[in-house]
Amino acid sequence: MATRETFKCLNPTGIQKPIETFPLARRLDAIDGKTINLNITGEPDITIALEKRLKNDYPDVNWTTKKTYGVDPVRLTDEEMKTTDGLIMGVCW
Amino acid sequence: MPYIAELEKAGIPTILIDLEDQHNMVQQEALSNGMPNVRYLPASRTLPGPEDIDKILSSIIEGLTKPLTKKEKEKGLYAPPQPRVLFEGSLDEAENFYQQTKDIPSPVNAPLSIYTDGFPIRVPTEERVKQMLTGTSHKPDEMITLQADAMGMRGGRKKGEPVLFQPMSWTATVEKVATIAVMAGCKPEHLPVVLAIAQSGVATGTTNFPSQVCVVSGPIAKEIKMNMGCGHLGPGSPVNGPIGRAYQLMSINLGGAVPGVNRMSSHGSPLNNGGVCFAENAAGLPSGWKGLNEESGFKKNQSVVMVMSGVGNHGGMLGHEFSPGGYRAFQKSGHGGIARRLDVKGTPGPHNWLEYLFPSLWAAMEGGWTLIMIPELAQHLHDYGFKTKDEVYEWLYKTSFEPVKKYKGRSWPDLTTNGWMGIEKTSGKHWKELSDDYMVPVVNEPRDSCIVVAGGQEEACVQLSGGRFNAPVYSVDVWR
Repeated sequence: MATRETFKCLNPTGIQKPIETFPLARRLDAIDGKTINLNITGEPDITIALEKRLKNDYPDVNWTTKKTYGVDPVRLTDEEMKTTDGLIMGVCW
Repeated sequence: MPYIAELEKAGIPTILIDLEDQHNMVQQEALSNGMPNVRYLPASRTLPGPEDIDKILSSIIEGLTKPLTKKEKEKGLYAPPQPRVLFEGSLDEAENFYQQTKDIPSPVNAPLSIYTDGFPIRVPTEERVKQMLTGTSHKPDEMITLQADAMGMRGGRKKGEPVLFQPMSWTATVEKVATIAVMAGCKPEHLPVVLAIAQSGVATGTTNFPSQVCVVSGPIAKEIKMNMGCGHLGPGSPVNGPIGRAYQLMSINLGGAVPGVNRMSSHGSPLNNGGVCFAENAAGLPSGWKGLNEESGFKKNQSVVMVMSGVGNHGGMLGHEFSPGGYRAFQKSGHGGIARRLDVKGTPGPHNWLEYLFPSLWAAMEGGWTLIMIPELAQHLHDYGFKTKDEVYEWLYKTSFEPVKKYKGRSWPDLTTNGWMGIEKTSGKHWKELSDDYMVPVVNEPRDSCIVVAGGQEEACVQLSGGRFNAPVYSVDVWR
């Protein structure tokens, strides 16, 4: 009986190093009285309107803003990391 | 996404606003950064801002305040199996296996090949890969690392650094690159070029029409019988074609690039269908014109490859075809449309034919171009007075200047100047201080342009946008 010839064929896929996954940060009970950073990365049509509405609708929040037209966000300073309670980033593409 | 991960780890809750077609990419990036359950929601590509915000505002706040679910509180380890042998069976069965597809949801909504570029491949049996590895002195289990310092999109990269294949930042061994070279249809003598290309990390670009093109310069082009003459951009060469294809197969397999997931070019690119690699015709360079290798700091007898990963993002590919005989009449006796446009009617050349390209070069885009010109066209520029390539680059740079008012009518500078903040470099002044008629360069610096001499005898020049931007040059010889 003829046997079928078989071949070992190699894996072309890149090597993925194991990734440790972690839980998200605890959410806020409320945003009033908190410092929330609006981190803008482009799309002024959306983000200008967003900034206006956030400040208007939530006047008891201490809003801070960081802005770039590019895709790399402007980072919080070490000091700001200690005092910022939450962050909204957009629009990312 | 790494920054979002940093914030979440530091205890700062976040909410990300993306665009709906980017969801697959957000999910994948989030997993790669250790937080598969990142919170995000889409803004609209089309609704006016105020209307869009009406729809999503409450969800944004909810993203920061709604208590975590059980899933969002989980931690663990993501470690998919990665066998060296992917499949065992007959050649027919292997062919079917490697041709598998996966359904990709919106914005693709179609099946895409998992391991290939959509075309059949040469099955990478262990024996074939072993044969391929005879093309290099490097060991199969050696990790692909940078063999010399190089520039990357986000700054300098150091010799010895492991290459992180994009977009997934995976790594690879020499054997894996050889596996892909087999799949692409390469021969062992092509492998050093493919390994050199691998050092680039095989980025695929995003957004519009990013195409990847590799250019070989130096003795290896002739050694391995690359087509540098008529039709060098394809089709037909069993060398140019497979090497170009290896780039794309590396991006798919080593980099994990998937259209609609993390390779977001809206139309894709026909240049990436099979890939493009061509070679400089060093013998066709005019006297005093350096080859790409020498321009990049290598010697004339050293072989290199320039890896252009962003061709097309800023303008695409243009092929200026002079009418049959039109170019010859222009140069020989100063007759025809080209001569009339350049006001040299009746005057024999040599004339600067680049002036004929000028109105279209920067019509819709900024930045340098790579000009692929046949030897005759290069010689005419030399005879006209450009005794070096640098003199051509300088001319292109100076010709690119335009008024600020016109420059502000371009799309990308809103982003590259960060909303017209910062200093305009030729004046040293803030952008907002400049008058509308102040002249600024559309090309960042002369060396952003690039000339490669190649092609047949019909008078033609092909232009690839992007020039030398994000086009590092790697030694091929170190991989022999």
